This record gives sequence, structure tokens and C-alpha cells, in this order.
Amino acid sequence: MNKYISIILLLTLLLLPLVIYEDNNSRYEKLSKSLLCPVCQGETLFDSPSEYADDMRSVLKEQIDNGMSDKQIMDYWTARFGERINTNPQNSNYFLILFPIIFGLVFGVLFYKKVSND
Amino acid sequence: MISSIGIILTWFGFLNLILMCFSNKKNLFQTLVRINLFIHFLLFCLLEVGLFLDDFSLYYIANHSASSTPPMYKFASLWGSLDGSILLWNLVLSIYFYVYVKFYRATTELYDIKIFAMIILFFNGFTIFSSSPFSGCIQLASIGCQDFTLLPFQDLVLSEFGRGPNPLLQNHPLMAIHPPILYFGYIGLVLPFVIATSELFNRYKNENWIKIAEKATYFPWVFLTAGISLGAAWSYEVLGWGGYWAWDPVENVSFIPWLLATAFLHSSKTQIKEKTLINWNYVLACLMFLSVIFGTFITRSGVLISVHAFSNGNIGTYLLIGLLIFTFLFMYIGIKNIEYFKTSRKVENIFGRSGFFVANNIILSASALIVLIGTIYPIFYESFFSRQLTVGRSFYDILVGPLLLILLYLMVFSTKIAKVNMNLKKWIIENQNELNISLIISIFLTIYYRASYKFVLTIFGSVLLIIIIGKNVISKYKKTKLQGSYWTGQISHLGIGIFAIGLVLNVTQSFSNELIISTGDTVNFGEKEFIILSPYEEIKEEKNVINLPIKFNDKEKNASLNIFKNSSQQAISSPAVFRNIQSDTYITIKVIDDDKFKLIFRENYGIFILWLGLAISSSSFLTRVRK
Repeated sequence: MNKYISIILLLTLLLLPLVIYEDNNSRYEKLSKSLLCPVCQGETLFDSPSEYADDMRSVLKEQIDNGMSDKQIMDYWTARFGERINTNPQNSNYFLILFPIIFGLVFGVLFYKKVSND
Repeated sequence: MISSIGIILTWFGFLNLILMCFSNKKNLFQTLVRINLFIHFLLFCLLEVGLFLDDFSLYYIANHSASSTPPMYKFASLWGSLDGSILLWNLVLSIYFYVYVKFYRATTELYDIKIFAMIILFFNGFTIFSSSPFSGCIQLASIGCQDFTLLPFQDLVLSEFGRGPNPLLQNHPLMAIHPPILYFGYIGLVLPFVIATSELFNRYKNENWIKIAEKATYFPWVFLTAGISLGAAWSYEVLGWGGYWAWDPVENVSFIPWLLATAFLHSSKTQIKEKTLINWNYVLACLMFLSVIFGTFITRSGVLISVHAFSNGNIGTYLLIGLLIFTFLFMYIGIKNIEYFKTSRKVENIFGRSGFFVANNIILSASALIVLIGTIYPIFYESFFSRQLTVGRSFYDILVGPLLLILLYLMVFSTKIAKVNMNLKKWIIENQNELNISLIISIFLTIYYRASYKFVLTIFGSVLLIIIIGKNVISKYKKTKLQGSYWTGQISHLGIGIFAIGLVLNVTQSFSNELIISTGDTVNFGEKEFIILSPYEEIKEEKNVINLPIKFNDKEKNASLNIFKNSSQQAISSPAVFRNIQSDTYITIKVIDDDKFKLIFRENYGIFILWLGLAISSSSFLTRVRK
């Protein structure tokens, strides 16, 4: 009996997010977090207190209000400041994400083989 | 005067260390170790005296302190920049040398003393040959000093004012606490390195090396955990960076040794009990320290951009040479002991107790590897493609996130399997009630927060972990008083379970808004109402502070903007934080435009829970304190 309760509860939990998940981050927040402040040392636009970043944020807000797509916005900024302004390089540079995965997997498998009996 | 004394004393220290490297007298070294500690302590005090007396004939003091700097920050200026921080580095190394000889030493040969002395000699050499905090000023700049000499008894010039410390570093007392604690963690990882290399150099006459190395790693681990947590708190509560962790290169290179040390603390247990993983343990014991040197190299050589980085021309090359020497030592001793490593047993039951340790090690070291790749990838990218690239938060979220989630579940299942072998079915039957309770709690929380899968998976694991360990603690408290290394593990895991809840709440639930206000306004943010009072300015000796009092319920707090004199740096914003258990309202001033203020309001979830978890995890050392 107890077993069935667990299974039902587990299924409920796993299905819940499909129904109720609500994203409370605005597009502005996401985009300003994925853009680097070019005059600061490694801070994103979202975090930086510099006035330069503040001006950039205003431009970004306008772009969002004008209905530009995420890709258009990112293209606009990369064209002006180079690709270093994009803090999500893995979205276009798949090597960056594949390389550590392959490396990690090879490491894991070798380690496992070395220590286990078979 | 101070300059000359300091330089001569540094030379004495240097000679003393050389003597230690070459002397074969077994009754001499204890005295030499004491002398070494004494000299480094004197050097530390001497520079402090210089800082408090505003002796601007010293290059370091003229450039990194000012007469207007408040006493506490004068004290902390010693580690505010590169040259001075090496002095602290050497002092901490010397303290660990003393601690090692006093508490951990188990051999009668002198290899360990020589290796340890060689390491300190290496860092000491930097202050002798390249740049010393005691170097005297021979040419003035407009403010501060431009050129220095490394020789004693020179005619020094005295600048009138000091340049003052970096404004970021004189904003909060944590500057006096966070760096030394972090150093004690970071540098303490020299202990396992010395123990492993010297014991094995000795052809493992003392098989106990792994036990000693494990003990010696534990306290540095606590310091490292506490140091990283304090740094996170500083960045969040004071600097107004809004976040506690930015995957900044300097943060990453403190995280890599932490991951490796955590792996070592686990894998050493299997060697102690079952004589497995001997070769891997040797690698880890050395890799911790090598990763410390490597991390120092990439953050102090100027190859990376970071809010933390400070550098000076030739320290990069110097550290790189050190890294090569120590790596060579590690490899040489490794090769010499191939036969010994072959005695390592295979792990018997990979799906049992040892399996957890193996999985734990694979995950932790893979995470360290990923963090390393993310940190140095931009350097390679730039040198190959001559274009710059930024690896940001989402890279680590995607790659490290899932690994840490697996680790959370490993902790859950391993909790009751310390002594018996694992059997998933049996485990589920035994923990049916705990499972059901955590499922119900998770469902409730998921509905309440309208949450995503990231949240659901983490929260279920953490709640289960907390319930299981909590029950364990309560039922055994009377018998064991929670003493011993088993409880160290349990308490750390409990802390991490709580931390994980705070983290996932923060990552998935936080939101923010930027508002332009004028004084007297009432601001609605989320479901809360804030009243903005009129700002006032405080004029202090070293800075002007614009305070904007904000009222929420009955509490009143200041969001402020610090504008430093004598500094080209931008103003620093200190947040007003209204905290409750669930979330912080975190308000920072971004820009002031006449009587208008641009404020950023953030609702940061889970911060209290997150700090609580870290504090519990760090306090696990209490289980090792003998009563």
C-alpha cells in the first residue's frame, strides 16, 4: 500500500512542472545577463554599476520594446563589440560544450575501468 | 629604515631556508623551522608597522595605502596587492611548516623538511629577486611611487601622500578576514603535497601517509570552504555586485582546489580501509597543491581579466617555473613508485560502498576539469584566433549543474550505507516514510513556487537528504555526541543539502526590476511597499558617501554610493538588504541624476538558507575537535 502511495506521489511530482511552471525572468533580465559590460572587468550588463553599462541597458530596453528578436539583439551587440560581449558562447560555439563533455566522459570511463574488477 | 631592515631580514629568512634544504643534521631542523616562522612573523609585523606609521619611503606603502586610510584597512592593506600578499602567503606557509613539524610529522628522514623548505624558498625568492613589499622608493610619481630598489641602505625618496588601497578593498571589515582565511585554506593544501611526495620519496617506509595526508587536508578544506563562503558573502552583501558567485576566473581557481580536496577527503577513506585507489590518491594529493600554484599563476600573471586580478610583470614567469619544478617532482616520485602503486587493490563491489567513493571522485574531478576548461579556454581561444571570448555563467550551469545534482543524490543514498553494502530495493523499503514525506514536501513547494524541473529535482534530493541525516543525528546524538569523522561527513552533507535548497531557490525564483525614483516616493516591488526617504551625504576622510534611506515596514536601511577620493575608479554601490528566511529584497543605487535615483530592486530568494548551509558545512570541523 505504502509502495503505491510513493509511486503516485513521485509521478505527481514529476508531472507538476509541465503544468504549472512559470518563468519569472523577463527577456530584459535574460539578455542583460548574457551581455558583458565591455568597460568593466568581467561583469555582465545586468550587474554592472557603471554609467556606460547604464546607457547600454537603455538601448537594450528600447530594442526589446521595438520587438527585436533575441538573435537580432545579440547580433547587433556582437557586431559592435566583438564576440566577447556574448557570455553564452556555447550557444554558437558547440565545440566549447562538446569538448568538456567528451573529456569528462573519457576520464570517467577510464577511471571506472581502472578501479573496477572487470 | 623599515625598508632596509625588511630587506635584510628577508635575506636572513632566505639563507635560513637554504640551510634547511642542504643540512643533514637531524636535530637542527626544529630550531630552523622555528626561526623561519619567527622571521616571517617579524616581516609581517614590520610591514604592518610601516603601514601604520605611513612610511611612504616604501614603494608598496606609497602605492597601496594612504594616511587617510582608516586603521583597519591599513592593517588589511598588507594583503591588498601582490607584493604584500606574498608576505602573507609566506607567513601562512611558515605557520603550516611549523604545524606540520609539530603535529603531522611521522618520519625520521629529512625529505619532508627539504621539500617543504624548498617550496617556501621558492616563494621567498620572489620577494628577494623580483619584487619585495619592502623595496624602497627611488622615484616619485604624481601620487605614490614610480620606481623601486631591492637593495638596502639606499637614499630613498618620500612621497607626501599615499595612493591608497583599491576602493573596493576598503569598504568592509571582511577585507580583514576573507583573504587570510582563504589563504589558510588555499596554502594549507601544501601539506598533502609534502606528505605524499616525501613519504613516497622515502619509498613508503611509512604506509600511514594516506591517513596523515587525509587528516592534514581536512582543516585546510574547512578554511577553504569558509574562505570561499566569506568571499561570496562579501561580494553579495557589501560590494553590491548583486550575486555571490560570478564564475569569475579568480573564484574558479579557488573552486578547483576545493573540488579536488573534497574528492581527496573521500577517496583517501577507501585507501585507508581497503587499500584501493592508491595511485589516484597520490595524484590527487599532489594535484591539489599544483592546482593552487596553477590558479595563482593564471590569476596573478595578468593573462586573465577579472575583478580580482592583480599582477606585476614577472610573477607569471616565476610561478610558471615553480609549477614546472613541482610538477616534475610529482612526476619523478610517481614514476619511482610504480611498483608500490601496483599493490593498489581493485575496487571489489563497484555497486556497493566503494562505488560511491569512485562515483564521487569521478564527478568531483570531472567538475574540476570543466571549471578549468571554462577558465582557460578564453586564453587559448585568444592566442589561436586572436579574438576574445567570454565564458559565462550558463556554460557552468549546463555542465557542472547536472554533475552536482548527481552528487546530491549520491549523498542521499550513501547516508545510511557507511557500514553495509548498498541495495537500492532494500534502501527504498527502509526509507519509505522519509521518501513519502519528502515527496509531499516537494510537491507542496513545487506548487507554491510554480517551479521548473531544475527546482523539482534539486528540492526533492535536498529535502530527502536533510530528513535522513536529521533523523540520523537526532537518534544518535546521545550516544556519540557527534564526534568522529563519520559525523564530519554527515554534518557537511547536511549543510550542503540546506545550501542546495537555497541555491536552487535563488537560481530559479529571483527576479528584479529597475526603477527611477525621486525622494518621498512610495515604491511597490513584488508585493512589498518601500518608502524612499531623503538622501544625505557623509563626508569622510577618504570618501564621500551618498546615503539613501529606504523604509520597509518599520525597518530603515541605507542604499549608498561610495565615491572615493584619490581614485580614478568608479563609485561603489552598497546595497540595502531587507532579509527574511525566504528571500532578500536587495536594493542598489545604479545612477544618480540630480534628484532622481535609478535603483535596482532585486528579490533574491534563498540567500539566508544558502548562508546557513555553508555555515553548517564549515562548522563540521567541530566534530573533529577533541573534548
